[in-house]
Amino acid sequence: MNWDTFIWFALPAMILWASAGIVVYRKKSKVLADILMIAGISIYTLFIIGFWINIERPPLRTMGETRLWYSFFLSVVGYVTYCRWKYPWLLSFSALVASVFICINLFKPEIHSKNLMPALQSIWFIPHVTSYILSYAMFGAATVGAFVQLRKINRKGLSDKKIFDLLDNLVYVGFGFLVLGMLMGCVWAKEAWGHYWTWDPKETWAFVTSMGYLAYIHLRLQGEKREKVALWLLPVALILLLITWIGVNYLPSAQGSIHVY
Amino acid sequence: MIIMKEENKRKMWQMPWGYPESIAITAGIVFVGFMLQITIKGFNFYLLTAPVNLVVGALIIGLCLLTLALKKSKFLSWFTGVPFSVCIISALLVLTLIMGLTPQTASGSANTNDNFFALLGFNNMTGSWPFILIYFTTLLSLGSLIVRRLAKFKIKDWGFYLNHIGLWLVLFAGGLGHADMERYIMHVREGEVEWRVYDDEGTVKELPIAIQLNDFDMEEYPPKLTIIDRTTGEPQPLSAPDYYQINTKAPTGKLDGWVLEMNEYIHQAVRNSDSTYRAAPMPGATPAAYITMTNPSTGEVRKGWVCGGNQAQLYKTLELSEQHTVVMTVTEPKRFMSDIEVYTPDGTTKSAILEVNHPLRIGGWTIYQYGYDNAAGRLSSYSSMELVYDPWIVPVYIGFIMIALGAVAMIVRGHSPNRKTLLTDNKQEK
Repeated sequence: MNWDTFIWFALPAMILWASAGIVVYRKKSKVLADILMIAGISIYTLFIIGFWINIERPPLRTMGETRLWYSFFLSVVGYVTYCRWKYPWLLSFSALVASVFICINLFKPEIHSKNLMPALQSIWFIPHVTSYILSYAMFGAATVGAFVQLRKINRKGLSDKKIFDLLDNLVYVGFGFLVLGMLMGCVWAKEAWGHYWTWDPKETWAFVTSMGYLAYIHLRLQGEKREKVALWLLPVALILLLITWIGVNYLPSAQGSIHVY
Repeated sequence: MIIMKEENKRKMWQMPWGYPESIAITAGIVFVGFMLQITIKGFNFYLLTAPVNLVVGALIIGLCLLTLALKKSKFLSWFTGVPFSVCIISALLVLTLIMGLTPQTASGSANTNDNFFALLGFNNMTGSWPFILIYFTTLLSLGSLIVRRLAKFKIKDWGFYLNHIGLWLVLFAGGLGHADMERYIMHVREGEVEWRVYDDEGTVKELPIAIQLNDFDMEEYPPKLTIIDRTTGEPQPLSAPDYYQINTKAPTGKLDGWVLEMNEYIHQAVRNSDSTYRAAPMPGATPAAYITMTNPSTGEVRKGWVCGGNQAQLYKTLELSEQHTVVMTVTEPKRFMSDIEVYTPDGTTKSAILEVNHPLRIGGWTIYQYGYDNAAGRLSSYSSMELVYDPWIVPVYIGFIMIALGAVAMIVRGHSPNRKTLLTDNKQEK
């Protein structure tokens, strides 16, 4: 199995994931969604195993190969988290993002061969990035929920407890993944660059983002107080997150960051 | 709603304190920090070098433990409570946000005092008084909270303990220990022994640790081929240049309308004659490829060797026309490694192959592959290593493990269990 046969595994996997992501919204076909998702993951795993055997080394050398793993872990961890929390959109979202990474490999084949620089050749690279993507998914969803809740408060003058339960869960799960991603980055940095935290611009912004969500978590400990402040914190924190993720590279303060590849 | 009304009746600074007092005090701490910054300039973190940090650390732990004697203090239940924690977190958020927007300079660098931001310490945030004061406030508040919660230990609070104790350990050991950390760069020539190092200001220092470099070696990725304009050197086509990544399992490609077939590839080649190459695994070797280029529209065929060259060998290109030629790109390093032997004063020696992401630990020091002579690449006659001494790393890593377990707890359990216990605790306190 190689990149030429990739499409014969990628396409069925994507179709199965997409179907799972759609049927999961129908109450009667939850089991079908499970079966479709697992089938998709299995086919995709089969390709990775075959590819690994064929190239006679772990597929961790090029950008394309790391993207193979993003899709794999997003579908697996996304599915497991869905099983725990039963949010159907979570399954759809992880299926969608996993498919996006597959599509990049399919349509931009020259990226397969972009070689990884030595510092990126670490076992922490893939879990670090995957964990962050999952936390971003949770926080993105939480922001949408925050606006729904704010609208409810403005119209009825009262918040919906169910929505707050959902929001708090999303932020807790998202924060868990964010912290794991950050810690894996720290351990990796210690192995590769000599220190676990150097206030590199990306690290500074990651810290700012995590403080935003940490403030939300603590504000919510006294649930009935300052509901609106907590809710407005979620879109603000998402903006900080987007700056960390995408914006940092454009900031004058980030010249010389090690996170610019 | 009832609580809100009660709060409205309560006057500012009347116990129990809530958000207004927390905001005022946090703002006050930050304000004092800025005043200190303007009057006595930045905080010199290296004042905390051992044993000062041990004394300060003991003092902080002592103060946190002291809160046990004052269990019913209303001040302490505010100091360790939710509103103040939210305010400290927000202060950290704002200060690091400023830090993220202001280019940071190394501590103690001169001629930056002329602008307003520098006056307030924005360009060296982690060494500025507001940041330092908030940092110590965090240690005290979080530490006291942990002590108070441990005093009424409940096994079901394990998620709380893991997250908070872990974070406190990381902040405590990472911050106070920072002054004890030493980082140096050592350049060792092949076949020689070196013990002199440079710090980040370029000062030479002798270390009680010596490194012998037996060999420096580098593995390179197979390079790429592309067509360039012979006058401008630009890869073609200009809008989106084509590159063929050399791969013996996929020996064909397309470059700017030409069909490429790679007939032979030698990863470590030396020039054999004027126009041929042979395999020779020696230091000066460089990749070379024999290719056939066919232009389907005109039927033209060109054959020949292409080589990127290095310091020891000239490059070789394959001309397609007066304007265009096929070239090989410069190789990218796949791994670079130093075969070293390390000597310490107590007589221990350790030998290792050092490479990026695979450091060597010896007697409190960690040795990293840092760099090499970039211009020479594989032919580099020296290897640069970074030596790091960080005696506080163990508590930091214990903290990391605790936080990681706490994070897993958050993912699996969500918000409900934690919150309920905390709310009942608060009621008991009242």
